[in-house]
Amino acid sequence: MAKATLGGVEIEVDEDGFIQEPDNWNKEVAEDLAKMEQAFPMGDDHWKIVNYLRNYYAKYGIAPPIRMLVKQTGIDLKTIYELFPSGPAKGACKVAGLPKPTGCV
Amino acid sequence: MRKKRLRVSDIGKNGADRLVRINRKDLMPLPDIPGEDREDDPIRPLTDRQRAIYEHSLDGVSAVAIPCAKDEEEEKRLIQSFLEGLKKLLSKENNWTFLQQLQQTLDCCVKCQACSDACAIYLGSGRQEIYRPTFRSEVVRRIVNKYLKKGGRFFAKLRGNDIELNWTTIARLAELAYRCTMCRRCATWCPMGSDNGVITHELRKLFSQEMGIAPKELHEAGSMRQLRVGASTGISPKAFVDIIAFMEEEIEEKTGRKIKVPVDKKGADILLIHNSGEYLSWIENPAAFAVIFEEAGLSWTLSSDLYGYEATNYGVWYDDVQFSRVVLRQIGIAKKLGAKKIVIGECGHATKGLVVLADRILADDMNFPRESALPLLEDIVCANRIKLDPCKNNFPVTLHDPCSIVRLMGIVEPQRKILRKICPQFREMEPHGVDNYCCGGGSGFAIMSPMNFSDWKLTIAGRMKVKQILDAFKDVQDPSIKKYVCAPCSNCKGQLRDLLAHYKLRETCGIYFGGLAELIANAMVGLKKPFIEWQ
Repeated sequence: MAKATLGGVEIEVDEDGFIQEPDNWNKEVAEDLAKMEQAFPMGDDHWKIVNYLRNYYAKYGIAPPIRMLVKQTGIDLKTIYELFPSGPAKGACKVAGLPKPTGCV
Repeated sequence: MRKKRLRVSDIGKNGADRLVRINRKDLMPLPDIPGEDREDDPIRPLTDRQRAIYEHSLDGVSAVAIPCAKDEEEEKRLIQSFLEGLKKLLSKENNWTFLQQLQQTLDCCVKCQACSDACAIYLGSGRQEIYRPTFRSEVVRRIVNKYLKKGGRFFAKLRGNDIELNWTTIARLAELAYRCTMCRRCATWCPMGSDNGVITHELRKLFSQEMGIAPKELHEAGSMRQLRVGASTGISPKAFVDIIAFMEEEIEEKTGRKIKVPVDKKGADILLIHNSGEYLSWIENPAAFAVIFEEAGLSWTLSSDLYGYEATNYGVWYDDVQFSRVVLRQIGIAKKLGAKKIVIGECGHATKGLVVLADRILADDMNFPRESALPLLEDIVCANRIKLDPCKNNFPVTLHDPCSIVRLMGIVEPQRKILRKICPQFREMEPHGVDNYCCGGGSGFAIMSPMNFSDWKLTIAGRMKVKQILDAFKDVQDPSIKKYVCAPCSNCKGQLRDLLAHYKLRETCGIYFGGLAELIANAMVGLKKPFIEWQ
């Protein structure tokens, strides 16, 4: 397992850069992750997506359906890809401090 | 020049170097895509840290993240473990599921290489020796002949079994087991009926069942997660219920119809199980099924029970034990509900696994009726059970044949009959049907993207599919004309999504992808909005 310095602290990340210590996630960590994901600087829409993902994850233990994310945030898929170039699963979830989505997604 | 000189016995030599170095210029040309003829390494190198901890000496790629052996002692132990596993593969007691096909392939290769010309990966790579279907098989054959047969070592060279079984050989072989999608196109070309795909399958089994070596995406985050949480995606019964409520809202918004999606309905004729990835990535597919089934008046239900809403079974790709564990749970759900049969949605490996492979382990009353959704959809569409207007699908459509459903199960015509009826601009790819090429995402590749493996699967494994898609739409290249690649399989869709993005085919050619049910729903009359949204 690799380590990365995020938000000024060393955090364990997997080979794809997803943080393994969710409790250490904070705004600064998110911004450093966003730098790696070409999603920096983070504007309101970035945060809207990140916060929605985190809330859904806290409730259900997974990231929401992509379509639900689009609808509930009011941000269409094309824009999500502009905000997070690796997409909602690999990009936005990473910045939000969620584990890498699994299964056939 | 080096690739021509590479021999099978080289697999155990020079463990510090990679066996091949791939240059983009060597790959099969893609003349329609700018920049694909440049001279560079199409695969990002691993970082120094990754190189220090993971085996990568096959081709510089790590798909399986195999830890480097610590010392000679560990190497010895691993070699012994490999040989033990190999013995088990060749014994009836331990491998009654696949022994016959394995033995036949080991015994009957006349080295004619008809299989090589049939392999999308070998051709896509520009004929790299190590990706030849027989390369992998010949390594295994020689190890069996030299190390497991009487007098094998003594006569090895004489009998053409020159090979050194060391850790380098095993580590490269483990990676090589993940450079084949088990599409088994090669098997249909073999005049002897041998099946190099089975060799890949058996190798993966050996590595997983005996040595604990398997990609994280398939095992830990895949089948183990499914057994723990209910689905490889991590969807729990609670999350599933929430998602279905959202799906009903979606359906109402699109179609103007309020549908109560049947969940856990006792005694329904059909238990429909989708690949749970559909709900997260392409919810319009299960939504389309619901709209169609309701319109056709079928007696059907989904299940929200643990294991009842997940069709995937990654064990199909790498582990018979995991495969069996999942199958038994899925059958249990259907029996509990009192359904008459299980119908599997648009997912290739799940259909092949549950409908065909499961026959080997479901004895007596466990042998519950199971089928693919495609013939059922054909019946609904072609027997005019719902009202459809083909004019609503008046855009170019081509069909990708999922290997598991088409070549390996023989379900060839239902999806075509549907498209001929409801898509006026339907055109076939060449070749198609049982001769199709794999999308390059088969056998789990679509969901595997560790380190630099994505680069490999998009530039080499999926290369042939990109060429086929571009050729199918040659007459309508204008990007403003929206085109649809119909792929009735979750895995194929995942790979197509990544291929279209990697080669920018949406922006430059207007190429989109989706499933089959969405096209049917899109043709239904009286819906409020077009079902397909081209997102």
